[in-house]
Amino acid sequence: MKKIALVLVLVLAAAGCTSTAAPVVRQTAAVDQPMPEGAKEVRALDPPSVDTSCGNPRASFRPNGPLPAPDALSAFPTVAAIRDHGKLVVGVDQNTYRFGYRNPETGEIEGFALDVAKEIAKAIFGRADADVLQLRVLTSKQREDALKAGDVDLVVHTMTTNCERWGWTDFSAVYYEATQKVLVKDNFDYQGEQSLAGKKVCATEKSTSLARIVNLDVDPKPVGMQVAGWTDCLVMLQQNQVDAVSTDDTILAGLADQDPFTKVVNGVDAPEPYAIAVPKKRDDLVRFVNAVLEKIKTDGTWLRIYDTWMKPLLGPVGAPPVAEYRD
Amino acid sequence: MSAPTAPPPVRPAPVPERRGRVAELRELSRTTPGVLIKFTAALVVASVLVGVFTAISVQSRAQALDNLATRSGPLSVAAQDLYRSLSDADATSNSAFLSGGLEPAAVRTRYETDLAQAEDALAIAVAARDPADLADPDSPLSILSSQLTVYAGLVETARAYNRQGLPVGAAYQREASTLMREKLLPAAERLYDNETAALAEDQDRAAFQPVIEVMLGLALLVLLFYAQRFVRRRTQRRLNVGLVVATGATLVSLLWVLIATIGVLGRVETSRDEGSELTNALVDARVDGLAARRAETLTLVARGSGAAFEEAYGKARAALAGQLVEAQSLSAESNSDVWGELRAAIIDESAWQQVHTQVRQADDGGDYTAAVQLANSAAAEQFDNVDRSLRDAIANTTAIFEREVSSASSALTGTVVGVILLALVTAAGAVIGIWQRLKEYR
Repeated sequence: MKKIALVLVLVLAAAGCTSTAAPVVRQTAAVDQPMPEGAKEVRALDPPSVDTSCGNPRASFRPNGPLPAPDALSAFPTVAAIRDHGKLVVGVDQNTYRFGYRNPETGEIEGFALDVAKEIAKAIFGRADADVLQLRVLTSKQREDALKAGDVDLVVHTMTTNCERWGWTDFSAVYYEATQKVLVKDNFDYQGEQSLAGKKVCATEKSTSLARIVNLDVDPKPVGMQVAGWTDCLVMLQQNQVDAVSTDDTILAGLADQDPFTKVVNGVDAPEPYAIAVPKKRDDLVRFVNAVLEKIKTDGTWLRIYDTWMKPLLGPVGAPPVAEYRD
Repeated sequence: MSAPTAPPPVRPAPVPERRGRVAELRELSRTTPGVLIKFTAALVVASVLVGVFTAISVQSRAQALDNLATRSGPLSVAAQDLYRSLSDADATSNSAFLSGGLEPAAVRTRYETDLAQAEDALAIAVAARDPADLADPDSPLSILSSQLTVYAGLVETARAYNRQGLPVGAAYQREASTLMREKLLPAAERLYDNETAALAEDQDRAAFQPVIEVMLGLALLVLLFYAQRFVRRRTQRRLNVGLVVATGATLVSLLWVLIATIGVLGRVETSRDEGSELTNALVDARVDGLAARRAETLTLVARGSGAAFEEAYGKARAALAGQLVEAQSLSAESNSDVWGELRAAIIDESAWQQVHTQVRQADDGGDYTAAVQLANSAAAEQFDNVDRSLRDAIANTTAIFEREVSSASSALTGTVVGVILLALVTAAGAVIGIWQRLKEYR
């Protein structure tokens, strides 16, 4: 019996894993905050284009006469081709509340820019339903490639006209006058631009706002945080990953409206004239778009669209922006 | 074993005093009783050692099988559930987002079920670990436990904003999806790879060739053979009952271990070929299907800027088609049920591809609403069919794995105790058998 017990003890001792217990070294759980896709700090960028090689970037091609009827487009070969093809492809923004955004209730893209695009579609086709107006969502960064490749006929976006961009695209006359401002949380003690010194400020990748922030005349310079869409900036502000967002007041007002604990303050204050971008070598389309803009600015449509979308955020506006042309 | 042969047994001659005790013992050991005592000692030690080592070897095989049944098997199923539910949660929350602020109740339920299953599988995976395994913040389980709640939080934030009609909800949804794609899914994939590697290792441990057992058994038999030859030549008796019983017990022990082990090897082989390896192929196919579905919905969420997702869809779908065919050929001869499921999956997969082409045509043609409608109805349905066939096939192969491992385990039932008892019989037989001869010298 003793032997059996001995053998069993031996077997069990050999079979059981004999591990020595080591104390568990606890590491402090890392606070690993989620970030929007592609969010990245930017400390140095070329200053925003002060390039005046194109003369006045607001000046576009003058429309040749009043807007023609949809069935009299012989002077506009590009527009006639679009009409024959049956589709106007427009690059739009889906992140700028009330300017160009996807309404989560309907899943549809709506806003000021969309209504302007619809006016252009109406001028070409006589209607502006989803059959003829094909939307392509573009981030700020994607606009350049889409325009260079000619993937879109128009880009109606929060896109500022400037000489650097005139180098690779054409612009219509200005259809919306925006100004760069700053969005901070209510408890941020904002005393003008100097308060942004050394702070993290969010803006979209490749936007003029980002270049202006990184080169702001304060010491130390603000640290830029680049993201893909403007709502990503609000996410980062809410997650305490940036101190401020700086861009056009149109966009900031849309963000502030989504979070009652934020405020839009003066600062940077650079003009951001929005124009509709058209791929190069389609002058007739630019002239046609300018004719449409002339028409809606004079017949009250522009003001109606403004009042529908932007007035609740930014208050009333005196008059639509005045078109300037290069002759 | 060069025992002296011919001379008849004689009593040892008186030893002269001056040669000392050591020489006296050496002299004694060369005599027949001395040799018999040496044989007895050698046989007792050898049979106990052989018994112990054979038992240890069988025990470690049984332990590996036990691991397969209770640890690595269930854990690899848990890791696979975790990966699947996370993937599906992401595809589902994206498609809920596509349908606007008021997502269909069924879609919401599906997301909640996915998340509950993921938490459940994660709890199983964590419970099987020592705390030390979770100390490394980069280990898959640490990432999964710390980030899954973050993911759920982001999805709920997105949902709350969507309900208010605010576009920042979409930004939270994208952030959640990015977190899933860049952190959670890679961690879940690593976990699954680790668990399947552990499972393959346990299968190897359970199916190693019984070399040690056979060598030990044969060595003992050789020793018994020499002992019996010596006893026969010195005592002129053909059979020594004790030694015959010892030899019989050793033979039975060796055969028992051999037969049981051959049974185990066959079962483990089947558990691998028809169980775990087929399961792996099926799981790979299912993961590819989920990736394709996620990419399909994300292409629409990105709306027009989803070229990268569409490319990801193409890759995942091609991988899915390849995996389905490969799994089908793996199952062709062994499992007609799985073969049938896979045939159905292949048909549904090509139907899904056709619907997907229509979705892309609608979206590229500007009819976004129709594209979303198709993606959330017909495409979702075909994807579900593929996924359901694969789920059933995986349940089938997992059951085969469990069945084979369990019968392999039962093939070893009692072997450890039997081997030890037989070793004791061998030792006792040797002692009793030789003792009877030794008595004649007293």
